[in-house]
Amino acid sequence: MEAKPWLLPSTGGVVDGVSLPPRLNMTTTYVYDSDQPRRPIVTELSNLWAYRGLLKLLVTRDLTVRYKRSTLGVWWTLLNPLLTMTVLWIVFSQFFRFEMPGDVPYVAYLLSGILLITFFAQGVIATGSSIVNSASVLSKVYVPAEVFAVAASVAALVNFVISLIPLLAIQLITGVGIPWTVILVPIPAFFLLLLVAGLGLLVASAAVYFYDVLDLTAVLTQLLGYLTPTFYPISIVPERFLPLIYANPLYSYLTVFRGFIYEGAFAPTWMFGVMTGTSIVVLLTGVWVFTRSWKNLVVVL
Amino acid sequence: MTVAVEATDVSLAYRLTRDRAGTMKEFAINLLKRKVKREEFWAVRDVSFSLSPGEVLGVIGPNGAGKSTLMKMVARVLPPTEGRMVVRGVVAPMIELGAGFNQEMSAHDNIVLYGTLLGRTPSQMRDRIGAISEWAELDDFIDVPIRSYSSGMLARLGFAVATDIEPDVLVVDEVLSVGDTAFQEKSKERIQRLIHSGAAVLFVSHQMETVREMSDRVIWLDHGRMVMVGDPAEVVDAYARPA
Repeated sequence: MEAKPWLLPSTGGVVDGVSLPPRLNMTTTYVYDSDQPRRPIVTELSNLWAYRGLLKLLVTRDLTVRYKRSTLGVWWTLLNPLLTMTVLWIVFSQFFRFEMPGDVPYVAYLLSGILLITFFAQGVIATGSSIVNSASVLSKVYVPAEVFAVAASVAALVNFVISLIPLLAIQLITGVGIPWTVILVPIPAFFLLLLVAGLGLLVASAAVYFYDVLDLTAVLTQLLGYLTPTFYPISIVPERFLPLIYANPLYSYLTVFRGFIYEGAFAPTWMFGVMTGTSIVVLLTGVWVFTRSWKNLVVVL
Repeated sequence: MTVAVEATDVSLAYRLTRDRAGTMKEFAINLLKRKVKREEFWAVRDVSFSLSPGEVLGVIGPNGAGKSTLMKMVARVLPPTEGRMVVRGVVAPMIELGAGFNQEMSAHDNIVLYGTLLGRTPSQMRDRIGAISEWAELDDFIDVPIRSYSSGMLARLGFAVATDIEPDVLVVDEVLSVGDTAFQEKSKERIQRLIHSGAAVLFVSHQMETVREMSDRVIWLDHGRMVMVGDPAEVVDAYARPA
């Protein structure tokens, strides 16, 4: 099946040595009507399906072009979190000497936290800036803007999945092992993707009008990252600040994720509730705001 | 016969840059001063026309008349602020070609990406790479990142991809002047072939000779409004006549 129902396979061919472009089937009716109302979610999903070929290309481009000029190329995806982890490990395990409860090595705790927060922060920022950054394309060619946004979110997810390899390797090396629950990791990953896409769409719609939103988002995601027990154990948090940590939805995502990836345990049910609830609410809000502003997006760009 | 393009009183308003608060601080200040008026600039106002397959519509007018904005509305890039635009069939927009080219990627990958942005599928584009690069005379440079391309090479590549299709509606916004003389001839020929294949064509040009020769009908736009529409010779003469 073709991505666009009105673009049938090439019936072009070679005539007199000249290769002809695809001849379109005139009987298929594709109609653009500017009066057609936009239905939230339905329109976005059908657009994404129609443009799934482009979506794939954009994700690949996001992942490869960034490192195109570097010698190590995509290996940076693996190296980046490992280097961050090493720095934080030296600082917090050697200088500050956190006491980790239980028998989980600090490196696994640390790296799992870094990976998840990086996925969140980079995903939201990349998705949020995707539409502004694609202004040159969007103002010249018709492409649904949400394709660019979702491509950025998916690219962040793929980055995250690739970077799980060093984490799993570290779990094996340090003797933590890999529990069977690892097959459930797609669950928190999926809900985090929804959260990233939703927040990203929200930021992206706002960034078209106020460029500052992007800087603000960078600060806020970082703040949220610090409010999540990535590099510190929750046991060192003074009791009066605990509500702040619990109120941070990312803490639930992270606990669910850590449970699956190395503890082999299920996080408390309320955390699953917070995770799914936050993702769905944020995604719906993001799509709703985006739907309301899409018509002005290109005109303003 | 069904109509390919039908515009009914389409209008498009841009919000003026100076009124668009660039930063939130400015916005907040303006809000306090109650200065956030939505002052709008109507680039196109109440334009109506309909175009059948095989028909060629020329659009003329001075700079800033709204010609490009109108083309972008037909190409679906800009949704009309008011009025209704209906377009039937596949649109090949030839507006500022090469939008979406990635400097770091090879011409090979860019052909696929650009074609996909224009609404074709990656697999269709992969089948066409040979023909496109051959026509653009870029066979020897197909695996080179296009950041090392000259502007002429980029223009050829953009034109070759955009026209490598037989569209139902062709939108041409002053892109016929790319490349050297030989390539210009070649590209004109190609446009002619697309016209003969039965596409409805809208084109913007400042070359009155071309407009007179190619169009079946001409719209004269000024300040976003239609001043005159009709027979090419009549409209072009009226437009060229010193006021």
